[in-house]
Amino acid sequence: MSSLRDFLAAREIWEVPLAASVVAGALLGFLGVYVVLRRTVFVSAALTQLSTLGLVLTLLVEERVHIETEHALEQLGVAMAFSVAGALVLGAFRARRLPAEASVGAAWVAGSALVVLGTSRLVHAAHDLGGMVFGNAVAVSAAELGMIALVALVCTTVHAVFAKEIAFASFDPETARALGMPVRLWDAALFLTIGLAIPAAARALGALPVFAFLTLPAAAALLLRVGFRPAFALAGAFGVLAAASGYVLSWLLELPTGATMVVIAALLAAPGALSRAVRG
Amino acid sequence: MSALVALDRAAVGYGGRPILEAVDLVVVPGDFLAVVGPNGGGKTTVLLSLLGALPLVGGRLVRPRPVRVGYVPQRDHVDAIWPFSAGEVALMGRVPFIGPWRRPGAADREKVMEAMARVGMEELAGKAFGEMSGGERQRTLIARALAAEPELLALDEPTNGMDPAAELATMDLLRELHGGGRLAIVMVSHRLENVANYARTLAFVDKDKALFRVGPLDAMLKPEALGALYGRAVAVREENGRRFVYPTSAAQANGGGRP
Repeated sequence: MSSLRDFLAAREIWEVPLAASVVAGALLGFLGVYVVLRRTVFVSAALTQLSTLGLVLTLLVEERVHIETEHALEQLGVAMAFSVAGALVLGAFRARRLPAEASVGAAWVAGSALVVLGTSRLVHAAHDLGGMVFGNAVAVSAAELGMIALVALVCTTVHAVFAKEIAFASFDPETARALGMPVRLWDAALFLTIGLAIPAAARALGALPVFAFLTLPAAAALLLRVGFRPAFALAGAFGVLAAASGYVLSWLLELPTGATMVVIAALLAAPGALSRAVRG
Repeated sequence: MSALVALDRAAVGYGGRPILEAVDLVVVPGDFLAVVGPNGGGKTTVLLSLLGALPLVGGRLVRPRPVRVGYVPQRDHVDAIWPFSAGEVALMGRVPFIGPWRRPGAADREKVMEAMARVGMEELAGKAFGEMSGGERQRTLIARALAAEPELLALDEPTNGMDPAAELATMDLLRELHGGGRLAIVMVSHRLENVANYARTLAFVDKDKALFRVGPLDAMLKPEALGALYGRAVAVREENGRRFVYPTSAAQANGGGRP
């Protein structure tokens, strides 16, 4: 077990990854309010898988054309393209002839299978992929932190400027459409931000914790019945708390970072769930 | 009188597939149109097509000028999991007129409170929408529609699932809002008694019979016509100035028996 003194002494190692985790936690917590309220939790699971598929394909291409050096931002760009395309298809422009669960399930299953197939063909980069999927507590570069911060800024700006349109189109699309609002445009804006956030956050947290962070902090906030706008602030704060404390604890107790963050995020949802259970 | 909105030889449906064709429907200022028909007959499809919320498969949607519309969806189409207050829900009626980049101002909030007062909900503006009774939610949704200062108020099954007192209160509220013609109302309903006592114009819709007919209430509200629409005998009776419409056996309908 490491001491807190050791941890503080190693600041150069953890300050960038910790900052990236905190930004990612805040962003996913905020966006998670829409993910939970729109009942699209499994869309985020499918997008996480599609984003990983983008990474695997990039690594395969890099190996096949003998690119030796790592191109983290290019990999992130391809993962984002996959995730955004998936977000728009599964969220905003979904074919109404199929139930939502069927489209999302198909994307998740097909994405997962292709990830397994692609990984089986990787020769050297399989180890790198582990860090990308499960999060790497020490390998986030300053450039990647910059990219995560940029994505967070874009998402925050979209949601600040179009808050009322996105909220109305999400809450009651039928009425919004009847009043002449372009509901698909606002859906696309929302799912674009989710599609960008998932691969960016996965660089710091790992793909699997990203799914948890899009659900648990928002659920924790909503269970406390704080109202619509405060729920975003509270969910963002829960995301920050789970990411930061999970990072530090995992270091001190030598535990897997992503899993520690997820457990803390789940614990944060406990008071609200308990209070609901008691009140009925 | 010129139309507020009209369907001209319209084919209405979903995904490019028409469920009803050659629909001609004109809504004029001050009208109170009720759209009736069996469940799954296409009533909501006609209403949403009329509002432009559902693209037409064929024909034309005619709007001679921009019309301010207020819309009240079926109450169970609105997910009560969202943690909005009644006032926040009503404020959404102003969103299309505020535009992106801007926040609702004092004038918007004033319009919302006026609308809440008109439906008797001003004291409940801060109450959580999800914790309201069915009648309160319905009034909140009507307040949201009124906050848009509509010329045309469209409602989809506004009294569905309400107890008789709440249903009567809602229908009386609609009559008051209609104000003898100040506001045009288009209402989808399967409650024939409400239709018979409040509407001026009636439309029959049944996609399975490829049926769309519209006309003045008195001309349309005939037992034979209603019987053909619903596939069973329907009686129409008037007592103390109030109309009663109810399904019955053929013998009762012919003999004028009580329900």
